[in-house]
Amino acid sequence: MLSVFAAPRLRWFTLPGLILLPALAVGAPAPAELTQAWTSIANSRPQDVLRKWDADRTSRPEQLAWATAQLSVQPTTDANLQAAGKVLTGLAGGDDELAAEAAYLQARLYQLYYAQPDYAKAAELYRALAARRPESHWAQLGLVKLAMLKLYVVPDSAAPGTDRLAPAEALLAGIHEPLLQRDLHLQIGQAGIALKQPLARLLPHLVAADRIGGISGTAHEDLVVQLSVLSLRAGLPAQAKFYCERYLAEYPDNARAFTIRLKLKEAEQQLAKEAAP
Amino acid sequence: MKKYSKQLGLVLFILAYGLASYWVFTRSTPVIYQRPVTIRFAHWQIERGPPDGIAAAIKRYEELHPRVRVVQLLIPGGTIYRQWMRANLAGDTGPDIMEWGSWLDGQKDIPARYFAPLTSELAQPNPYNRGTSQEHVLWQDTFHDKLLAPRRDSPDPGQIYAVNIAETTLRLFCNIELLRQATGSVTAPKTFDDLRQILARIQAYGRRTELPITGIAGSRDNARAIAEPLFSGTLLGVSQRIDDSGILYLHNRQVLAAYLEGKWNYSDPAVKAGLQVVREVTQSMKPGFFQLRRDDAMLEFLRGESVFFFYGTWDATSLARQATFKIVPMQLPQVMPDDPEVGRYVIGPAGEGIGETSMAMYLNKTSAHPAEALDFLQFLTSVPGNQLFTDHSGWLPSVNGVDVPVEIRGFRDYRKGYALGQAPYNVIGSEVTMQWDRHFHYLIGDQGSADKYAAALDQYMPAAIRADLQSEMRNSLLLVKPQDAMIQGWAGRAAEAPGDALPRARQHELEMGQTMSEGLALQMKRVLELTAEKK
Repeated sequence: MLSVFAAPRLRWFTLPGLILLPALAVGAPAPAELTQAWTSIANSRPQDVLRKWDADRTSRPEQLAWATAQLSVQPTTDANLQAAGKVLTGLAGGDDELAAEAAYLQARLYQLYYAQPDYAKAAELYRALAARRPESHWAQLGLVKLAMLKLYVVPDSAAPGTDRLAPAEALLAGIHEPLLQRDLHLQIGQAGIALKQPLARLLPHLVAADRIGGISGTAHEDLVVQLSVLSLRAGLPAQAKFYCERYLAEYPDNARAFTIRLKLKEAEQQLAKEAAP
Repeated sequence: MKKYSKQLGLVLFILAYGLASYWVFTRSTPVIYQRPVTIRFAHWQIERGPPDGIAAAIKRYEELHPRVRVVQLLIPGGTIYRQWMRANLAGDTGPDIMEWGSWLDGQKDIPARYFAPLTSELAQPNPYNRGTSQEHVLWQDTFHDKLLAPRRDSPDPGQIYAVNIAETTLRLFCNIELLRQATGSVTAPKTFDDLRQILARIQAYGRRTELPITGIAGSRDNARAIAEPLFSGTLLGVSQRIDDSGILYLHNRQVLAAYLEGKWNYSDPAVKAGLQVVREVTQSMKPGFFQLRRDDAMLEFLRGESVFFFYGTWDATSLARQATFKIVPMQLPQVMPDDPEVGRYVIGPAGEGIGETSMAMYLNKTSAHPAEALDFLQFLTSVPGNQLFTDHSGWLPSVNGVDVPVEIRGFRDYRKGYALGQAPYNVIGSEVTMQWDRHFHYLIGDQGSADKYAAALDQYMPAAIRADLQSEMRNSLLLVKPQDAMIQGWAGRAAEAPGDALPRARQHELEMGQTMSEGLALQMKRVLELTAEKK
């Protein structure tokens, strides 16, 4: 309980504090509030952020959170997206990780969100981001997305006989984060199948993705099956044997195990044939 | 006396009013005791069995947790579940735990939008397994199939969103006494040709005795169900041919894309052979069966008017509890290379692995009590919880270590064989299914034939298949877009709390999953564009 003697001192601290508090709040984000905003966005509840905040937030992290929430809010009209884009453009002009994040989202807007996607513009923004801040995670992730656009949508050349994987491989060289390297290796491998590229070109990417590891769920199982089957098709029985055995060790009872056992037998027969004098 | 009774009535009324007012203004709780936490658990398994199994597990759970009440909501699946689920989830009134299935038309976006992934919890042991054979096993590995379907159906290839409660498969349920009467034998068919002969004898018996006896209880649902495994036999070669990616599994999008790319069609001799087999079995259903549903077929079987009923083991408890005759579940024999009619198109048996667990339950992202809901899911899929479910439902358990009652052990006899038997050719998407159903009359009846049906399908399917592939692509993009915000959200959380590894891990998981889904959407876009040019 406050004594009557303490009251004047309290007033001395409190009054200026009360006057200054709103100003402080405007100048710096309240961490708890920002954390709550990111939590809502992570939990797919962007509407909670937009209910509390509007576009005129003054702190840059809050502006980014608002723009991110605005990307997902319904209705996803171009007007709503342009409002988010305006904020992102302002933020992307900075020279920090937050600016890189905003620039990445700008590219995503053109690739995925506007009613009429502009893949060339998105590719240009990813490229510009990588040139400006090559070490940023968002630039690195942007390179993965750029490579995918090059594989499927804006190839350097779509002429028959062109090596469709080469442009993506060139971008791979600029990625140093192992998890993103893995993701792009996997995408180049899958694109190689879709684009009917030679197995010898695409298989090393699938192997590399597997070696980096960390692929979970059914994607991991699919990759091991894929490496077993495609290695055999490519005439690489030793590699096929390795992945068949691994599959059978990891998933001995799965519905695909019966066929993988047959593939293993086939790989062993080929190896025996090769070893024969 | 009359005067006093009037006064007494008035006094009693005032007293009751006073008591009610006192209760309303001083206590906010209802008269009947309510537990502080209520979990709502919704599913469509309203067959005989599962509601009892879940109720038994709930009863035990509530004994263990006096704070928590679990309410089981039984929502009919065939009629209103989809609409009910969508409306409640959109209105933020969805139950805490609910069932979902990837085959529900137009509902593909639901998990990514509304459900929480359980991946990290599944990577820990289930606390309710203490003292059981599964005590030190990761929760995900305690499931008989390690959650094959939830992994496969996950909106993020790296995430698991559901846990399964039961395990189901398809069986040919036989009225064994009627089989004996009609054919003079009770021997189960070992080959498809045996089944063909049995169905012919039953038809002859019906004609001879003028009894309304059919071989197989008929309905549109049962016809679809029996078509899938029969079709897969002759289509294994086609499936192997179009499996460019070499994953020995075909998703809808791959079968649809392969059709548009001209890699298969319904007039392919192997596909027509499959249609011929479907025609043979549906000829043993009663006329007009395609207008009927599964419940009608079940009633036909229960009335003793058909020898066989082909459907999932999820109906086994309903059949056992309602039938007045002995039912023997049998395996549907597959068409094999030695089949006299279509054997030349068959490579071998399609395998079933170790079966698949089912009845996938998802955790609502907006649940008011996520911890308690998750805890109940853990109990229900623990050895003791799942044992209660199995004992009271008559359904196979999903969890290892649960004693399987003798009478349903046979449901776990799975056929060994080639992968790719699961490849879908009739129920690949809503438009394709509609065309399949709409033209089915070309296949059946005296005027029907596999040739006529294949021709009709190849006439109408290209547009349907294109529409379904477009839907698949849209669904992938529906998942990809919200993930951008989620990735930013977790990145923001990670930046706010650098010492906490979880947000960063979640961010990277989402990035991986999003990139994979995006790749698939781009592949579909490419096929649609290339084949549109051809057109």
